[in-house]
Amino acid sequence: MHEMGIAIEIYRTSREAVLGHGPGRIERVRVAVGELAAVEPDLLSFAWEAVVAGSADSEAALEVDWRPARQLCSTCGEVAERASGSWLRLCPRCEQPLAVEGGDELDILEIVYEAEEPAVREA
Amino acid sequence: MKTIVTVKRKALASNDERAGQLRAMLAERGTLALNLISSPGSGKTTLLEATLRELGGELRCAVLEGDVATERDAERIRALGVPAHQILTGGACHLDARLVQGGLEEGRIPEVDILFIENVGNLICPTSYDLGEDLKVVLLSVTEGDDKPFKYPAIFARAEVAVISKADLLPHVPFDLAAVKEQIATLNPRATILLTSSLTGQGMGAWYDLLRARLATKREETA
Repeated sequence: MHEMGIAIEIYRTSREAVLGHGPGRIERVRVAVGELAAVEPDLLSFAWEAVVAGSADSEAALEVDWRPARQLCSTCGEVAERASGSWLRLCPRCEQPLAVEGGDELDILEIVYEAEEPAVREA
Repeated sequence: MKTIVTVKRKALASNDERAGQLRAMLAERGTLALNLISSPGSGKTTLLEATLRELGGELRCAVLEGDVATERDAERIRALGVPAHQILTGGACHLDARLVQGGLEEGRIPEVDILFIENVGNLICPTSYDLGEDLKVVLLSVTEGDDKPFKYPAIFARAEVAVISKADLLPHVPFDLAAVKEQIATLNPRATILLTSSLTGQGMGAWYDLLRARLATKREETA
């Protein structure tokens, strides 16, 4: 299981990204995980909880956008429907070999950050 | 005040940066680097032993061995007179670019023509980590079963070369070679598929030729 290392990287990168926004806490981090990223979303979420626990962002949620790979037919252009986690060898329409496209995402997309209100200066 | 910060950064960007540094260093040296990935016991080290016996006389080779524990694999390589460094991950299931940089620190591995990086035996976790290699090579032995490419699609989609190993055992195990080739072709139509036996030498000529050709290409690109 390498999801723990990835969760640590996501948290570290997220903290860097909000550095210029002053003190505050991360509410949510949205990531894209592709079907061919070799990362299990449930394990990643589990690891994330362990990573943020005890940090300044202990309530931060991880939102995983699952990005399936697409199976395309280069002969007829059909995008083949398939059950999740299964693969088709031939195009259901023209029976030519299918190719796999996409699904290799492992990206941090955006962070919802709650910045502390700036202190009111006394006149 | 709630702010939405758009990031659009790869989760493993810091690994990718280090892999980029490694790639630049290896290009400068004209070294071809391979990242060998498979489940434990598919024959990565045995393939390397046969390869080093064949190519050791004509090319300078070295091996970085990744394992959770023991120096055993590096010792097997050194017994052939080939420089090897053992990276012990201490439990981690994969190598990353930082570990490879550490393995290449001064003096550990000389400048070579081909650097073989044998990853920790695992078909999943090593997939996500770029090590600065020129090509990923996945091994699948015939005893592992003929359903593995579709079961572990990520590595078969990424590996440029798929070595189906232990071909000498084919007569003794149920293994539908055509089905495996079809699965790999579906996930990666450009993959080169080789059927080999490190013990009998079957199919090894094509593997050696591939290494020589890739080294020549790299030399031309980086000259």
